[in-house]
Amino acid sequence: MEQHPILIIGGGPAGLEAARGAAELGCPVLLVEKETILGGTPILSSYAALTPDMESAEEAMKRMADAATSESLVDVRTETTVVAATGDAPEITVTLAGPKGEEQVVVGAVIVCTGFQHFDPGRETQMYGYYEYDDVITLVDVERMLKAGNFVRPSTGEKPKRVCFIQCVGSRDRQIGNFWCSKVCCGIACKEAIEIREHVPDCQVFVFYIDMRMYGFWEDQLYWKAQEKHKVQFIRGIVTEITRRGDTVVIKGEDTTMGRPVEVPMDVVVLSVGMEPSEGTTAMAKLFELPLESHRFIETVGGALNTVSTSRPGIFVAGCAAGPADLEDSVSAAGAAVMKAAGFLRKHALSTETA
Amino acid sequence: MDPIYADAKYQDVPYEEKKQLFDEVKADMRWHTSLYGCYECGICVAACPSARFYDFSPRVFAQVMAREDVHTFYELLNESVWDCSQCFSCTRCPRQNNPGGIITIMREVAVNHGLQSAKEALKAYSRIIYKIMSTGTQVAPDMLQPDFFPDWGPDVQQVSDNLDVWRRAIPPETMHTTELAWDVAEKTRVELYMIWKLTGNLEMIEQIDEGIFMILEEVMEELLDEHGFDIDDFDSVID
Repeated sequence: MEQHPILIIGGGPAGLEAARGAAELGCPVLLVEKETILGGTPILSSYAALTPDMESAEEAMKRMADAATSESLVDVRTETTVVAATGDAPEITVTLAGPKGEEQVVVGAVIVCTGFQHFDPGRETQMYGYYEYDDVITLVDVERMLKAGNFVRPSTGEKPKRVCFIQCVGSRDRQIGNFWCSKVCCGIACKEAIEIREHVPDCQVFVFYIDMRMYGFWEDQLYWKAQEKHKVQFIRGIVTEITRRGDTVVIKGEDTTMGRPVEVPMDVVVLSVGMEPSEGTTAMAKLFELPLESHRFIETVGGALNTVSTSRPGIFVAGCAAGPADLEDSVSAAGAAVMKAAGFLRKHALSTETA
Repeated sequence: MDPIYADAKYQDVPYEEKKQLFDEVKADMRWHTSLYGCYECGICVAACPSARFYDFSPRVFAQVMAREDVHTFYELLNESVWDCSQCFSCTRCPRQNNPGGIITIMREVAVNHGLQSAKEALKAYSRIIYKIMSTGTQVAPDMLQPDFFPDWGPDVQQVSDNLDVWRRAIPPETMHTTELAWDVAEKTRVELYMIWKLTGNLEMIEQIDEGIFMILEEVMEELLDEHGFDIDDFDSVID
């Protein structure tokens, strides 16, 4: 009997790792990616260096993509989306829409790796003016500039003297409806702060924060390093408003440590935008009838001990489709999802043989 | 950031002057182990005895120095720096910062520059400085007078009336003194004086209280003369 492939939706870090892992276990894989290229958000959003080890995102994602596509058991479909699904695992009939039109395929299991999207700063409820001021940018914009090797003040094209980050934009905010911590933005802000200090040594860099959330080794690898070695200034207090004074944007907030309100002109303000479920994640949840958890990511049902099983047998989720995650967790979850998917198919095959 | 707050007391002192003292603190050889990075966790304030009694925060010192806030540094240098009891309870910092050590360096800079605030803060110590540098002991039993120490209670009267007798009841003979806490050999006094001179402490005292310095120098140089020591020849003293 021909073995139905595992359908992996999304060609980002989680999807690529899942594809490679499934193939190494001997399972055929159908890897579906809606964009023209593999690599996911790190590539599509032009990330420069990965957190925390500063490896080039381009090189790291190429390595992951090569590892997946070099497996003969992996069938990669770019520019392809899943538009319909019927039946239950281990026999789900999915309809794929690709450059050559629609096609129906029967798959044995599914791993949803559709990831996250960056919070749109136009939705914040402070008054940061992302779409109003050229010099108010996001973590993602910084990545793009760093990747191009040219970090400048957007309004003038000159090297900035004073840059600040504002943490938790779009995260941990009841007003916006995003109650969660996006986990990675503190680390990424530290990483970018270090890069800016290296790129523009006479530029002062400030980080305004509620609390710096550095998981595990990121504490000294990023936070202490930024503060002690690179003299990045961390100021506890969140900016409420950005205004313009002449040609310069001015941040207004409280320095809660010193118990003082502050108003400081900045050349560049970086909004540390968090994560939200991507459109693909929301669409796949709907298509496969996967319930969302309270934060609108795909719900897993195994609690702390099983982070990849959804309420539908044979359908799994890995990476940021299940909630904010760093690369380490995304890739680890992909491994766990592949193990569960392969186990699910094997169990089913055995029970069919003995029947 | 270098904001100067509206309630800053030293608005009129030029930035350059403040910056010079700031740089002097950071140039101190102890600086690199005084401040790594601050979490703003407040453990230093929680542990600080002075913070319970004064409007004083060791955390603010760490923060202000880390932020290179030169104006606020200067405010601290003239005011809050004297509220620390130098107990170093703050060194339990998880980042191994030493706010008390920052204050040690700041105090030395304040004294070396003879800041008026330092003179005022240390005024009460002049007598102790004189006493310890000329006699080798800090407090003498005969200072125990009811007028000076009313808070010691009614027994002080009785003790001071018969001080000589009380002192003779103490077993070690070196403690049978009333004008000194204990007998200090003249050679020891001379040696101590030379140490203070060599280590620059006398120069600091000259900055803070010139009167005391002059009296001290006169008294001690007389003593040195008596013993045939040359003030500028340390070897002769040590031998």
